Amino acid sequence: MAASSTVTAQAPARGLRAFLSKNTNIVTFVVLALALGALTGGRAFGLDSIQNLLIAESVRAFAALGVGMIIITRGIDLSIGYVVCLVASVSASFAQTPDYAAALYAGKDFVILVPIAAGLMTGALCGLVNGLLVAYGKLPAFIATLGTLSIARGLQLIYTKAAVVGSLKQPFKNISQGSLGPVPYLAIYVAFAAFVVWVLLRHTRRGTNFYAIGGNPVAARVSGINVERELVMVYLYAGVLYGIAGVLQAGRLGLANALTANGMELDAIAAVTVGGVSQTGGVGTMGGMIVGVLTLGIINYGMTYLGVDSYYQLLMKGVIIIVAVFMDMNKNARR
Amino acid sequence: MKRMSILALALVVLAAGSLIGCQSKSSKPVIGALIRNLDEQFVADYAANVKVLAEKAGVELKLLDSRSDQATQLDQLNTLLSQGVKYFVIVPNQTEATEQMAQAIAKKKGGAAFSNIQPSVAALKVGKNFFLASSPESVAGQIQAQIIDDYFQKNPKKLGANKTINALMLLGQLGHPAQKYRTDAVLQGLKDKGYTVNVVAQDTANWKPDEAQQKMDAWIAAFKGKFNIVITNNDGMALGAVESLLTAKYVDDPKDLTKDTDGDGTVLKVPVLGVDATQVALKSMSENKLYATVLQDSVGQSSTAFELALAMAQGKYKAGFEAWGLKPETTPGDEAPANDAAVIGQCYLVPFKAVTKDNYKEFVK
Repeated sequence: MAASSTVTAQAPARGLRAFLSKNTNIVTFVVLALALGALTGGRAFGLDSIQNLLIAESVRAFAALGVGMIIITRGIDLSIGYVVCLVASVSASFAQTPDYAAALYAGKDFVILVPIAAGLMTGALCGLVNGLLVAYGKLPAFIATLGTLSIARGLQLIYTKAAVVGSLKQPFKNISQGSLGPVPYLAIYVAFAAFVVWVLLRHTRRGTNFYAIGGNPVAARVSGINVERELVMVYLYAGVLYGIAGVLQAGRLGLANALTANGMELDAIAAVTVGGVSQTGGVGTMGGMIVGVLTLGIINYGMTYLGVDSYYQLLMKGVIIIVAVFMDMNKNARR
Repeated sequence: MKRMSILALALVVLAAGSLIGCQSKSSKPVIGALIRNLDEQFVADYAANVKVLAEKAGVELKLLDSRSDQATQLDQLNTLLSQGVKYFVIVPNQTEATEQMAQAIAKKKGGAAFSNIQPSVAALKVGKNFFLASSPESVAGQIQAQIIDDYFQKNPKKLGANKTINALMLLGQLGHPAQKYRTDAVLQGLKDKGYTVNVVAQDTANWKPDEAQQKMDAWIAAFKGKFNIVITNNDGMALGAVESLLTAKYVDDPKDLTKDTDGDGTVLKVPVLGVDATQVALKSMSENKLYATVLQDSVGQSSTAFELALAMAQGKYKAGFEAWGLKPETTPGDEAPANDAAVIGQCYLVPFKAVTKDNYKEFVK
């Protein structure tokens, strides 16, 4: 909010209009934030409220960064929710207190690195499978990831025998629940991941390739890009991000079970879409993804704060996503 | 066009907010209700009763639905805490998450009563202001086992050789606490009563009648004559199974679907059991279709929890407080958290009730 107001103050009128029409996602976010502020007389923006918002949206942000990159390459990933669920369960199973009788590995005390590594590897593996199916199996991403969704769900239930993986060690939980002064660790991790994604998309050959493939896969291939390899990589990167999301979610809740992160794919896809990542491929930025996450976050948070019935919350979220895509289509049609 | 859309968006939000969110700044006591998922019949009944009680008591109620997502519930709790709400009734998503919620509430010197899903012992140990106001899920399974035992005592011919029960089992959403605890408890209960339980087939039908009916159609074709009972985790699925059995004419008298010729209390060849005692289920029982169900007392649980939260909000709570006519337990039982002497005074156990031919009329509204 602060950043955008400095820009608007300095820019001349025409620049302002150009900025606004180019950045509808930021405008939407600011309008919503102001609306909420006005409705609550500013009370909704106390320090603990902002902390709550950051904590609530952090895990989703990793998923959004992952699927955002995939959508830039004209793909899609429906498996996110259950992959994060599987990751959280695997990770949590190595972080249970050794004296907990119902632990999956009762009596075993793993060092804290084990649950983290296990989670990241599980996420990466799921991403790799998705990537191979899409790139070399030539399956439509929609179908391939629908398949892995079900496989991940099945594996989660088999692995946990449908039980809750709870009683996690405090040091593991602290990874997610701690904070540096007033800043939650979760927000710091997101900032770091967002920076890496920004560098990847903006300043590496691979990032450029992602945009090229999404913009026009045929042209990308003709210009010498190894499209298959790049697609595998984008799903793999996304898998690693889901891995981080899963580990952090387990730590944050202090548990994982079959319901953890269910439906996260819709939140993540909705967020990046609202943030201006186009379903037609080749369009989108890291900043947009994060703004999208925050926009949906402030809608969720605001409606909870105002005590709006949760059924209306779902309805509103749907309306906002449709409006966002509508605006996006208009913008891209004009170009 | 674009700016119009944004405007429209902002207006919708504003309108919704001011319509539904108008908060009166009164000195009324405020109670937060964190509700797992209003799509479940029991939870919806629970929430409805909390609303009625809040209205009657002149309490400002902030009721939020987490749609089965523990992360959402945690966010909602934090939001309410930051608004200054201190006392809560909670239908949690998972036992394992209750300690963390209790700690967050205790930081603001508040309190909470947990229903439906039991809080952990550790959650109750967070402070004396945290309560169990519930009927543990496994009790529903135990009561099902009791009803099944009664059935086979009365109809020993229906039992397989060596006291074998050949069961078809329709389960709720896999991993859901009610699915797990109800299922485990009914099987364990039957074993404890000396039966050999052979699960002929089991699968999830996600609490839904239509999915249950589909599964059952396939099973009747595959296992005709090989099962002697259908056990389900809720009434919705039980009724789906009943429909399927009726359609397949798997009944006492295929010529007259209303005749209970063998006098076992159901027109179906095998008894079907549910949990919840919904009104449709009771109707089905009155027609001798569904055999029996178990009432989880939504009014009892919500009233107990609400009275505890209200007493705390009004500063009237003392150890041994009587909520909804229930006194806290005094001697530790078998099930957590009411098995720990340190927190037993914080445990209010609302009884489950077997709903059978003998008493179902009491529950018809």
